[in-house]
Amino acid sequence: MAIIAEAKHLKAYYITQSYGIERTVKAVDDISLEIKEKEILGIAGESGCGKSTLLKALLGTIDPPLKIVDGTMQYEFEESYNVLSMSKDEIKQIRWTKVSYIPQGSMHVLNPVRKIRDTFHDFIATHQNLNKSETTQLSQDYLQKLGLSGQVMNAYPHQLSGGMRQRATIALATILSPKLVFADEPTTALDVLVQRGVVQLLKEIQQREGSTLVLVSHDMGVHANLADRIAILYAGKLVEEADTRSIFKNPLHPYTQYLIESLPRLDDKTERSSIPGRPPALDNPPEGCRFHPRCPHAMDICTKEVPPLVDMGGGHKTACFLVSEEKT
Amino acid sequence: MNLLKSYFLPRLSQWLITILVGVTVTFILPRLLPTDPVERTLSTLSSLQTMDPRAVESLKEALEDLYGLGGSPFEQYINYWKRLIRGDLGPSMSAFPTPVIEIIGAGLPWTVGLLISTIFISWILGIILGTLAGYLPKNLWCQIMDKIFISIYPIPYYILALILVMSFCYHFQVFPLVGGASGKPEISWSYLSSILWHSFLPATSLIVGSTAFRFIMAKALTSTIIASDYVHYAETAGLSRWRIVLFYVIRNTLLPQATDLGLSIGAIFSGTVITEVVFSYPGIGYSLYMGLLQADFNLILGITVFSIVGIATAALLVDLSYPLLDPRVRYK
Repeated sequence: MAIIAEAKHLKAYYITQSYGIERTVKAVDDISLEIKEKEILGIAGESGCGKSTLLKALLGTIDPPLKIVDGTMQYEFEESYNVLSMSKDEIKQIRWTKVSYIPQGSMHVLNPVRKIRDTFHDFIATHQNLNKSETTQLSQDYLQKLGLSGQVMNAYPHQLSGGMRQRATIALATILSPKLVFADEPTTALDVLVQRGVVQLLKEIQQREGSTLVLVSHDMGVHANLADRIAILYAGKLVEEADTRSIFKNPLHPYTQYLIESLPRLDDKTERSSIPGRPPALDNPPEGCRFHPRCPHAMDICTKEVPPLVDMGGGHKTACFLVSEEKT
Repeated sequence: MNLLKSYFLPRLSQWLITILVGVTVTFILPRLLPTDPVERTLSTLSSLQTMDPRAVESLKEALEDLYGLGGSPFEQYINYWKRLIRGDLGPSMSAFPTPVIEIIGAGLPWTVGLLISTIFISWILGIILGTLAGYLPKNLWCQIMDKIFISIYPIPYYILALILVMSFCYHFQVFPLVGGASGKPEISWSYLSSILWHSFLPATSLIVGSTAFRFIMAKALTSTIIASDYVHYAETAGLSRWRIVLFYVIRNTLLPQATDLGLSIGAIFSGTVITEVVFSYPGIGYSLYMGLLQADFNLILGITVFSIVGIATAALLVDLSYPLLDPRVRYK
């Protein structure tokens, strides 16, 4: 499969300076990632591991104090775009029509004093030369295709339920048939039933449009349902990357093993153990492998050297000396 | 109908109660004062000439009647309302026997004209400039503007006004020092332009000060709005800058701004004493100042009644406009 976007050695740090003390938070530290055409790539990891920051870098919405220290990020459409150095015009040109974004917490992403219809108009008219009645017609048709009532168009955001608002936001993000969609925690803060509906909606859109979906979530259940491939982040580093089946059946990295272990199973009623310790603070991460203070298999080398991401065959990559040492 | 009942009526009754209480206070206050206006007027008159005691007695009765001081307090109160509703605010004491309503009527057009125009100009200027400065904090022009307004804001208003008078009326005699217009009142270019000419300095002093205030307010409101998710999302989608500023930022700061506008307009009936005194502008603020100097409390109270009604009405209108400005305000 062709590659639609590729990140190489991305380093995105939050650099703040107050009263002469510089503080650097290495939220994304040397991450390389390939996104293949028409796949659903899940990016998983616990809170504060750099998921959202990685997404910002992939999307190219870098605002201070976030800074790209090193690395490249490219989209490959008909032509390639260097995401980290796009001009304003280029951004306007590719956003929504080629690359789109479903934000975290749709509670507040819709302008509270504008009707949904007007928000749709604002977003569409920015990219296509259509007048108000045309954009209204277009969005009404699209909402109906997604199984949403056209009534939504005349509502204000606060008049919609959380689930409706999330669906309207998904519709808003995908209305111009983008090839590449980034979704940041699209199911967070929704109840399980609504989550299911939203997951189905995302999958339906992805399949119908043949688009690529990059899904960031801490919820392994959502990934199991949706993703073709999963990338596991830990403390700003990519620790494992494989197809969904391999991640769940044969996790190689101890962190991934813990993650999978902690998921509830229908046939098993024993208590789930949690990972000992806490995730490290990213302004002062541990030397060597960042997981070693919590790892039950930590070796000498883990405290000194950073394990490289190694392909174990079949695209199953992991960054752990346990596995890579065995192999060499 | 339901809307009328649940939204309009409670606010209207609140308006009525405010005015009722305010006017009652203006009735009670002067009656608690140690000075008796009738005695005062009599002593002024008798100091000028010797008077027949019987004439004094009948004059006293006439004055008590004129000032509404005859009869029991309750009768006085009822009569007070009756006269107010007729528009009779009593005679002025300093310019006896000119009715207060005439003095107010003469000053009101000047004050209203000056204040309405300056309030609107500074409101619009302040919001637009302040929002731009808040939205583009890195822009050089916005930073310069920011520094200028922040330095103007703490200057006491009367100093600003005096500087303008000293510079442009005294040292460079560009603008007239006294009055609201020159020539005969008529609808002609020369008369209308003389109104503009006379009002230029007072208007400038008012606009500069209140634009600075609204600039700071708009900038502060904007800084919270631009941190919101919906502005970030609109920026991510590449929406044009003017659309974001107009429909995403300003539109969301309009509620407190409209309140400020409404209350400023409501307050025009008490005039702007300092402006009108410094620039000798013939509005009601000037009349109020004269009234204060001469203890003309019929005039003072007349202006107070106007300002009570003005502010209460403005508050009512502002309150009624909220659901139009923010759909989240419920009609309840």
